[in-house]
Amino acid sequence: MIELDGITKVYKTGSQSLEALRGITLTIGKGEFVSVMGPSGSGKSTLMNIVGCLDTPTAGGYRLDGDKVAGLTFDELAAVRNRKIGFVFQNFNLLPYATAWENVELPMLFDGKNGKKRRERVTELLNAVGLYDWREHRPTELSGGQQQRIALARALANDPPILLADEPTGNLDSKSGEEIMALLTDLWRGGRTIVMVTHNDHIAACSGRTIRLFDGQVVS
Amino acid sequence: MNLTLPRFFWSEYRKRRKKAALITFALFWGTLSILLLMAFGRGMNTQFRVAFSGLGETLIMVYGGQTSLPFEGLPKGRPISLYPEDIDYLQDRIPEIRLIAPESYSYLAVSAGGKEINRTVHGTTSEFGVMRTQVPQLGGRFLNADDAEGRKVAFIGWKVASDLFGGDDAVGRTIVINRIPFTVVGVLQKKIQDSMYQGPDAEQVYLPFHAYRQIDNRRRINQIHIMPHDASQSPLIEARVKALLGRKYRFDPDDRYATSFWNTIEDAKEGMAIFKGIEIFLGLIGGLTLLIGAVGVTNLMYAVAKERTKEIGIKLAIGARRRTIVGQFFLETVFVFAKGTFWGFVTAFNIVHLIRLAPINYDSFGIEAYLLRPEFSFQITVTYLAVLGVLCFLAGIFPALRASRANPIESLRYE
Repeated sequence: MIELDGITKVYKTGSQSLEALRGITLTIGKGEFVSVMGPSGSGKSTLMNIVGCLDTPTAGGYRLDGDKVAGLTFDELAAVRNRKIGFVFQNFNLLPYATAWENVELPMLFDGKNGKKRRERVTELLNAVGLYDWREHRPTELSGGQQQRIALARALANDPPILLADEPTGNLDSKSGEEIMALLTDLWRGGRTIVMVTHNDHIAACSGRTIRLFDGQVVS
Repeated sequence: MNLTLPRFFWSEYRKRRKKAALITFALFWGTLSILLLMAFGRGMNTQFRVAFSGLGETLIMVYGGQTSLPFEGLPKGRPISLYPEDIDYLQDRIPEIRLIAPESYSYLAVSAGGKEINRTVHGTTSEFGVMRTQVPQLGGRFLNADDAEGRKVAFIGWKVASDLFGGDDAVGRTIVINRIPFTVVGVLQKKIQDSMYQGPDAEQVYLPFHAYRQIDNRRRINQIHIMPHDASQSPLIEARVKALLGRKYRFDPDDRYATSFWNTIEDAKEGMAIFKGIEIFLGLIGGLTLLIGAVGVTNLMYAVAKERTKEIGIKLAIGARRRTIVGQFFLETVFVFAKGTFWGFVTAFNIVHLIRLAPINYDSFGIEAYLLRPEFSFQITVTYLAVLGVLCFLAGIFPALRASRANPIESLRYE
């Protein structure tokens, strides 16, 4: 599903250059639940950005769902993010002025899905995360746990095969964190490929495999 | 066309429209100011034309004078007078003349129903009415060709009518001048008039030329009125009148003082140029104001784009294409422009029409006659919308393009 071959990412600032990823080669199979761990500055976020097609590598090859990602244009990458990848962020990243319903609907709007399909899918997802009754509420009117569940529903809107979660429980209390992990685990069991960044061993233990990064390299 | 996204943008815009209120207000105010400036400019131009046509739009008036050059052995200083037969003499020899009329006048006592007033009484022919915009009120008429036979009829100004008859209908009533009774056949319709001799037409009394001669037996006439077939022929007519009168009364056609001319066509050209200049000046001020407004809107849209960096990052992360972001920002600018402009138009339109309801005091013609008749024109509207369209595009497209070029990762980190 995800094949990284010698991925290198170098950030250049003036005459300085920083190698964030150093030749990472990694394969994540379909239906795997992989957690990525490592200290700050180890390259976790850079790796997630490249896997999530938010960033492009300086060198190396990347195949996603069998397709080469390197060389795609900005809008082609946007289409990949829209259809193949669902993002769950630590700080939820919901649109503050939009309702829960509208937040979940947004990726489908960008995909050009028609109104009936959108309505059915949003209803299904809000029911799945237990927040259908909160559909008209804005993010500020929801708890952290509820916001993350809405974010999860949004990530699944276009039924992407891959879910990328960047510390999805990092801003939640333990109960809400557990609820999110339960939802992620259910999705994994349903056949979804999940890549999750976490600092928490207990959370990482929910996944099927853990990849540890240090100084831009996979150490285990 | 898939309207789903524009509908979504509209719904997003509606949620944030309070934030855009300042920009909308700026555009509303700009539109209002510019349209009013242009409407007043156009209105003043039109009113000048109307006021000038109060005397006569294409009119050349010829007066006698005194020679200032010796001619063919005759000394300078000879008075040159005009006579009734000069009318046929000039008309027969100058084919460019469309209408020609004599005019004589004296300041006389005019009485009716026990009231007596002193007014200038004129003797002229029916052609004078066309040339000097003597439009009668309903139920009356100006002097006609039949009156020339010596009928004792009169056409009077509306102030003369009100001074002598109060609010009563003057048509059919009798006025007495030098003990000769004249029947009023018409009263002048109210008009604004910025050029005059012997006072405004509202205060004049007009009699058929032959009837007038019975109360003023001077043979010479005060002036001749000429209307050319084409306004552009007026300098030619002037030259030919000078030459013909010079030959008849034996004076040098180049003698500036033997005869004199009041050429309203040339005066109107100057006046129109001044008012056109004012209109263009006001239009330019309006255009510059709008430009400043558009720069302000662009700045505000840049600020809005900056403020919404994170939102843009989120949208890009979940799959928005660049054109989607450009489209949203651009459409928002269009919404803001459309709303501000629409209300500016509505308000300006209503203000202009309210102002036009204000009455003009025809009896003491003043500045309000120019200011109280602003007007919109198709040209103003189309010009404004075209300029606005270009400014809206420029004000919207650059912030939209900048917003769309945001880096999704940096945008997501933006707080």
